[in-house]
Amino acid sequence: MSDALLKVAGMSKVYTQGLLKKRQTFRLEADFEIEESRIVGVMGPNGSGKTTLFELITGSNQPTGGQVFCKGQNIHKVKYRLRDRMAIHYHQSYQVRHFSKVLPSFMLEKPNSQYPYIHLFDEPQFSTQDGYIGFMLDFFKKLRREGRLVFLCVHPQEPFHIEIMRSMCEEFLFVNAGKVSRASDYDGLLAVDGVRDYLGKLADI
Amino acid sequence: MTESPPLFVAEHLHKRFGDQVVLEDINLSFNAGSISGIMGPNGAGKSTCFNVLTGMYRPDGGSVFFDGEDVTGLAPERIVEKGISRSFQIMNLFDEFTALENIMVATNRVRHGLHRPFWDLRADSEISHKAAEVLAMVGLTGLENSLASDMSYGQRRALEIAVSLATEPRIVFLDEPTQGLGADGRANLADLIGTLQEKFTLVIIEHDMQFLFRLANRISVIHWGQIIAEGTPDELKANEWVRTSELGKMTTC
Repeated sequence: MSDALLKVAGMSKVYTQGLLKKRQTFRLEADFEIEESRIVGVMGPNGSGKTTLFELITGSNQPTGGQVFCKGQNIHKVKYRLRDRMAIHYHQSYQVRHFSKVLPSFMLEKPNSQYPYIHLFDEPQFSTQDGYIGFMLDFFKKLRREGRLVFLCVHPQEPFHIEIMRSMCEEFLFVNAGKVSRASDYDGLLAVDGVRDYLGKLADI
Repeated sequence: MTESPPLFVAEHLHKRFGDQVVLEDINLSFNAGSISGIMGPNGAGKSTCFNVLTGMYRPDGGSVFFDGEDVTGLAPERIVEKGISRSFQIMNLFDEFTALENIMVATNRVRHGLHRPFWDLRADSEISHKAAEVLAMVGLTGLENSLASDMSYGQRRALEIAVSLATEPRIVFLDEPTQGLGADGRANLADLIGTLQEKFTLVIIEHDMQFLFRLANRISVIHWGQIIAEGTPDELKANEWVRTSELGKMTTC
């Protein structure tokens, strides 16, 4: 049996404050597995941990506990610069965070791929003014056809954002206060605790 | 009938700046005698792609072939010798030189280090004759002796293109040629580029979709440092979102 495209196994990330008396300020937990190529919609309020989740999957941010396996290989054991040959995070330049490197490169492995096969799009700019949005959506479908895993994180603000997510995504992750819930379709997503509050009026479009 | 192979081919181009991937697996090919367009939103990687194609940057992976020859990583002056030329978004004209002189200093014979003083160059009838021919190609005949600083913005844009033609290229890359031009200027430039197609293979980088839809035989759309779409203008215009966008409304008028 071949390995799942992505397996997030008992992963947690804890941020603390204070040197002697450590106080937990944020905790993200995730445990899920995606076997095959698909387009996964990701939603959640600001500050809920969406970008942190993406950073942990692409290996730029080190988890406090658990592992992330991409096609069976633990991405956090791969040479830093080559992790984007497995999973690549597309974000706005202001979102880019840099993390200290934990181990020297010679102690780390080569990636199991030459080209990225997990693509995480973090709030791509969807504007209806120009036509680029159409090319972007076609590109997500092309990646999916090529057997890759696509994450599409959108913070819905307009009805057409919901329409795009409903028509493009084959399943959803909802990230809220550090917890990751999974739904197999849009109706399932609406049933997840907190989603209706988050979407407000947009929920029933 | 067998199709001739493309004149210019880029395969699996990869480029990074530090930890950031700026070009990811770019594949492009340009046929001889065609006009190709490269378009994309700001920050999509258009200029980096252009700089790699024209030898200003060396790619971290992948290859560039011109007329079947691997030209990856050659120095810019060697690239020019092969017959690849480019214009710049920021104009590189000598303001205190005349239009003709601007062309003359860009011709191959001068570039190849004839260390002669400039007055001698002006007396070289072969070079000035050639330069006048190039000026004629861009419709600037009659302005040979005008100082570049005295020319209008549109004329300076045309002169900038003429400078890139002075090296007798076979393929010419134009970097955002409509930059700073109004509607009339764009229309004139489109006409000019149409006439150049008879003599050169052209690649135009533009964020003005309209301009490319009108001129290009084939367009590649770059975003996230990758080719996210490509096709003829008609194929791209058939996209549902392009049709319903402001752009689509304009192009159907």
